[in-house]
Amino acid sequence: MKRRRLYSAAPAAEADVRPTLLGVVTLLFLLLFFLLGTSSGQKLAVIGLHVGTADGLAPLPHAGLVKSLGVEIASTGAVTVRTVMQTTDISASATSTEQRVQPIPGRNGAVDRPALEAALAAVQKADPTQRKATVLPDDAVPTSALISVMDAVRGPNGTRFPEVTLQDLASAGAP
Amino acid sequence: MRRRLFTHATSAPRDGLDVGALAPMVDMMTLLLVFLLRTWSTESAPVPPSGSFELSTTTSTESRQHAVTILVSPEAIWVDGHRVIATPRIGADVLIREVYDPLLAQRGEQRVEIHADATVPWAVLKRVIATTEAAGLNEIALVGASAEGM
Repeated sequence: MKRRRLYSAAPAAEADVRPTLLGVVTLLFLLLFFLLGTSSGQKLAVIGLHVGTADGLAPLPHAGLVKSLGVEIASTGAVTVRTVMQTTDISASATSTEQRVQPIPGRNGAVDRPALEAALAAVQKADPTQRKATVLPDDAVPTSALISVMDAVRGPNGTRFPEVTLQDLASAGAP
Repeated sequence: MRRRLFTHATSAPRDGLDVGALAPMVDMMTLLLVFLLRTWSTESAPVPPSGSFELSTTTSTESRQHAVTILVSPEAIWVDGHRVIATPRIGADVLIREVYDPLLAQRGEQRVEIHADATVPWAVLKRVIATTEAAGLNEIALVGASAEGM
């Protein structure tokens, strides 16, 4: 006698994934419009400033070769990099400091950023331990030029001279 | 008997939208979503209610923190959203009294963020910074538009 199977295998039907996919697409559409409505394409970033000590005490001199670094900005876009460097005369066994001035003319009324970055990279190569720099803008220098120079001085991710001090060019002498 | 040049495919086309057509759309939407999540920001940048205002672009990646906000546009200066003085009316004094008083009222705050328009000259900005220092807010930061944004 042939036994009857209680549960016979049903014919396998192909599952329709279209409703699921449509649901996902709809959800993504809604999320997209929500994001567009609640967010902004402008991402903000901050640049920390060092504006001198309140007690007026001068900081201790840097121990490395580059004693100080100042970047002056003119309203024409011209930049002057002033570096006070320690030099040693081996024959005379004497150490002295000298100021090196490197003028960088502006390009089309703006700061020549590549030339400035090259000059700053050379200073950093001379003394990688120096982390401080002073930026001295002229009164008419716009904020865009100031931030551009500060970005160049700080370097990518603050790897060049991250401690930037702002000083007024009119009231400060050369560093 | 005439033969048909173009015969139907062996499998009959399905009614409605095909799965193959939907899959690239889902991929594209997901990519767009990831791109937006990465480049867009939910923090609202303060802008003056009138006049033009554009922040300078910066390569800095430091993010904002809770701070007193000073907005400097070519038209006016705002402290925490309140207009305090018209920029052209700033005098020759280093200290701006109209900015100093509201800053002095921010007791307990140490940090200030200055949102300055790209065209604002250093002559104005240095007075704002000096006033901020005089009011006892020592952690000063300049805010710019990140180059990573759209």
